[in-house]
Amino acid sequence: MKTVIKTTNLQKIYNNSVAPVKAVNNISLEFQEGEFTAIVGPSGSGKTTFLNLIGGLDKPTGGEIYIDGTEISTMKESELFDFRLRNIGFVFQSYNLIPVLTAKENVSFIMLLQKRSKAEMEQRATEMLEQVGLSDKLNSRPNQLSGGQQQRVAVARALASKPKFVLADEPTANLDTESAFNLLDIMEKLNKEENITLIFSTHDQRVIERAGRVITLVDGSVSKDEVIS
Amino acid sequence: MKTLLIISWRNIWRNPQRSFVMIVAIMAGLWGGLMAASLAQGLMNQRFRTGVEQEYSHLQIHHPEFIKQDNAKYVIDKREELSNHLDNDELVAAWSGRTIVSGMMGTATLTSGVTIKGIDPEMEAQTTFLDKNIIDGSYLEESARNPVLIGRSLAEKTKTRPGSRIVLTFQDLEGELASASFRVSGVFQTANSYFDETNVFVLKQDIGQYLGKEMVVNEIAIVLNDLDQVSEFARTYASKYPELEIRTWSQLSPQLAFYNELGSTMFMIILMIILMALAFGLMNTMLMSVIERIRELGMLMSIGMSKRRVFVMILLETTFLTLTGAFGGMLVGYTTVHIFQNKGINLGNVGGDSLTDFGFEPIIYPELAPSYGLILPILVIITAFATSIYPALKAIRLKPAEAVRQE
Repeated sequence: MKTVIKTTNLQKIYNNSVAPVKAVNNISLEFQEGEFTAIVGPSGSGKTTFLNLIGGLDKPTGGEIYIDGTEISTMKESELFDFRLRNIGFVFQSYNLIPVLTAKENVSFIMLLQKRSKAEMEQRATEMLEQVGLSDKLNSRPNQLSGGQQQRVAVARALASKPKFVLADEPTANLDTESAFNLLDIMEKLNKEENITLIFSTHDQRVIERAGRVITLVDGSVSKDEVIS
Repeated sequence: MKTLLIISWRNIWRNPQRSFVMIVAIMAGLWGGLMAASLAQGLMNQRFRTGVEQEYSHLQIHHPEFIKQDNAKYVIDKREELSNHLDNDELVAAWSGRTIVSGMMGTATLTSGVTIKGIDPEMEAQTTFLDKNIIDGSYLEESARNPVLIGRSLAEKTKTRPGSRIVLTFQDLEGELASASFRVSGVFQTANSYFDETNVFVLKQDIGQYLGKEMVVNEIAIVLNDLDQVSEFARTYASKYPELEIRTWSQLSPQLAFYNELGSTMFMIILMIILMALAFGLMNTMLMSVIERIRELGMLMSIGMSKRRVFVMILLETTFLTLTGAFGGMLVGYTTVHIFQNKGINLGNVGGDSLTDFGFEPIIYPELAPSYGLILPILVIITAFATSIYPALKAIRLKPAEAVRQE
């Protein structure tokens, strides 16, 4: 299997006024193409910081990050913007859709920034919304959708541009059980059908049970890395 | 870019109430600015027009010594040649030769210092439209015996009216004191009450006989077909008649030239003040809009929307908001100006009558130069751009990873 993400001795130290805090402490991990990984751990264990680092949203204080063989830890900020745009899909806890755009426009948005053709955007956005079960909500604005539906649009948006991997930061935290299961079904299906690498940070047992690999972080270090058969 | 335009436009309507208030504030500000500027412009233009049309004309020709000594004995030489020249010059719309004598006007009750102007009624009417300013009695008639026109202010001061007898006292060309009785044929009123109080008009031949010479011309006032030709005309005649002093309206009355400039300067000053005040309101609105959207802006930057695009988006939002208000304000402003530019706004009832003491008319006709229609949107866009810089910088300085988790 192809390695999509590789981190070597990854470190993120915050120098606050009392004492330096090692949010991520020497993490060396590899993520393979098509993996469905859950990163778990108590609050303050470094899950979000780790996701920010491999998502190019934050810079490490030590170590290296390779995405598909390209080292991103040394990239300039402007290069990282472009790198994220072309390689990484994001799903956020609070959905974070653009409220003034319709579901279809939201899904097309990243492709638009990537300067894809109009026809391709139309086709792919419609296809993705169909895949997440929202073919009847193409022209609905976020405030006309339920929380679960909004999160499904966010998933469709993250996957529409065919990123190398998708980072989801506690995507089910704000969802009721039914919506959470529904979302997980969709993500599991897309993971299998489109062979997309999914990495979740989560506290949610429902997500952990679906993951193929569970990495547990404690105090910024990997305490457990198990592959679930 | 099209999507950015759509998002920006839709973004300003997220909080319709706030945007509406801001748009109305911009509209009201610009409307007020346009009204104030158009009234100032109208006032200045009216003063300029009445000053040039009724008092100074486009140019005046004198004997150089007459200007220094104000003595009627300094007449314009080569009068015949100059008259022929002016009659045949295509640039000249009208001209009037005048006798100018300083003297006293006496009535049974009062004496007042005046400038006595001996005129040819027909030529004067074509040059300064004096006949149109008669508010009581009649204009000068050649057949009448020693008719005189006096201004309204002077008539009120000396309690005279058409038919009243007055005595004009002045020095003749020999320096001897001369007095003559005249009968008021009419009362005139211009926009300048001081002019009305200090000038009387008589027939040129009437004053000439008392001065001791039939035809005395101390001043020639000229009106051209095109005001822009004034300087060129003055140069040409100055080279042909070096012995005469030829002065343009701006040399005759630097005050009028100042008014002419002041109209457009006032417009710019008023507009700048209003736009500056609006800029702070706009900046506040845009800052609030950015602060309310920190999580969304963080998301946009996280998924790869460049800082440049985020900056442009905020800039477009400010521009849309400003332009919507500006066009509304311009529409209302120009409509109001259009309504009142022929009708005028009468300030007579609110103390505006005193304006005539300074040469202004109490009825103001607002005016806006067409060029303002271009200047205004440009200034508004510059304001929008300048105003959006701080909120836009605030937006792009956000750290995506932190912003996206903002509660």
